[in-house]
Amino acid sequence: MSIQNLNTFDPFADASKGSEDDVQDGLVHIRIQQRNGRKTLTTVQGLSSDYDLKKIVRACKKEFACNGTVIEHPEYGEVLQLQGDQRENICQWLTKSGLAKPDQLKVHGF
Amino acid sequence: MTEEDSIFDPTLKKKKKKKKTFDIDAALAEGDTVESAPSAADELFKDDVDDLDLDLKKKKKKKKTFNLDDLDNALPDKEEGEGEGGNQDDVAMDDNFDLELDFSKAKKKKKKKKDLDELMAEADDKQEDKENVERLPDEVDESSVQWMSSDRDYTYEELLNRVFEIMRDKNPDMVAGKKQKFVMKPPQVVRIGTKKTSFANFTEICKTLHRQPKHLLDFLLAELGTSGSVDGNSQLIIKGRFQQKQIENVLRRYIKEYVTCHTCRSPDTILQKDTRLFFLQCETCGSRCSVASIKSGFQAVTSKRAAIRAKTA
Repeated sequence: MSIQNLNTFDPFADASKGSEDDVQDGLVHIRIQQRNGRKTLTTVQGLSSDYDLKKIVRACKKEFACNGTVIEHPEYGEVLQLQGDQRENICQWLTKSGLAKPDQLKVHGF
Repeated sequence: MTEEDSIFDPTLKKKKKKKKTFDIDAALAEGDTVESAPSAADELFKDDVDDLDLDLKKKKKKKKTFNLDDLDNALPDKEEGEGEGGNQDDVAMDDNFDLELDFSKAKKKKKKKKDLDELMAEADDKQEDKENVERLPDEVDESSVQWMSSDRDYTYEELLNRVFEIMRDKNPDMVAGKKQKFVMKPPQVVRIGTKKTSFANFTEICKTLHRQPKHLLDFLLAELGTSGSVDGNSQLIIKGRFQQKQIENVLRRYIKEYVTCHTCRSPDTILQKDTRLFFLQCETCGSRCSVASIKSGFQAVTSKRAAIRAKTA
């Protein structure tokens, strides 16, 4: 049995982790935006910056057969941007690859 | 019965003292609850009547707690709402439950009692419940009594099944979880030209939801990732092509987050702004929980960059 009071505890441990995460409690927002005509854009905001987003976007582009890019945003950090409606695809792919849990994903849009 | 009474005498005495008012109430209400206590009318001694009343009440209480559990189970998506509510919520929920079922049974009358006492008495009631159930086989339903005759310990499942059986017997109308539907008009969505969409009955829907048009507007625009405004004849013009089905989806999400109570799912709620945070106050169960603020998040550039540059420069 361990004595709880004597455990070493770093009070800043999760603080530093939290700042790395995102503005909002680790939720991954997946949004869709309409472009001209039938065209759409899918944005993925809030992926942990521990991951290399460039590699992620490279894998996504190959997997979904679409183009995409990483955009640096002063407030929201790095945001994935993929062409077309990839909401379903990206949700499945993120959970399958273990980058985000299903309850972390928040899909916006219609 | 008298013999058993003598065994449990001290506790019962205590009870009686504590809940004198209820006993009077109960005795008054006894006339119309004969069917739930068939033996009650036969008892002539005051003591015995009192005992029975107490027992009845306890049984009901037990049932009520299970009902609450049931309600809780029926709400998969109220995680946030529950933590802060605590005791108060529970009490409120009890009230709510009383109200909801009032029309179904006359015995409800007896259930109307002070919440404080109930809370105080809850702990020892739970222990006594079991004893009482065993002590009074005559007022127990015949359906699940295979273990009544024996002295063996009954399992939690058996007790639970029994409670649910009694519940179904007494309230046949609430068997299937009792969902009240929240019906509202479908949004009328019409395309204007090729690039804009009109949401014709926007203000009407705001009124049925009891929400500020601005709040719903903010949410819709943030979710759809576009811009738009309310025009002269109170219809909403959104930039982009949207179908009625898509708008319905977004509206459904809005209702789930900002209209229905996270604890009891009642649509009878008020949205208040308190120190920069929105709180959802339920009028039915009295729970109050914070809701997420509307954030549009990252917006990609979809228009012509040259046009933006021309505008800003």
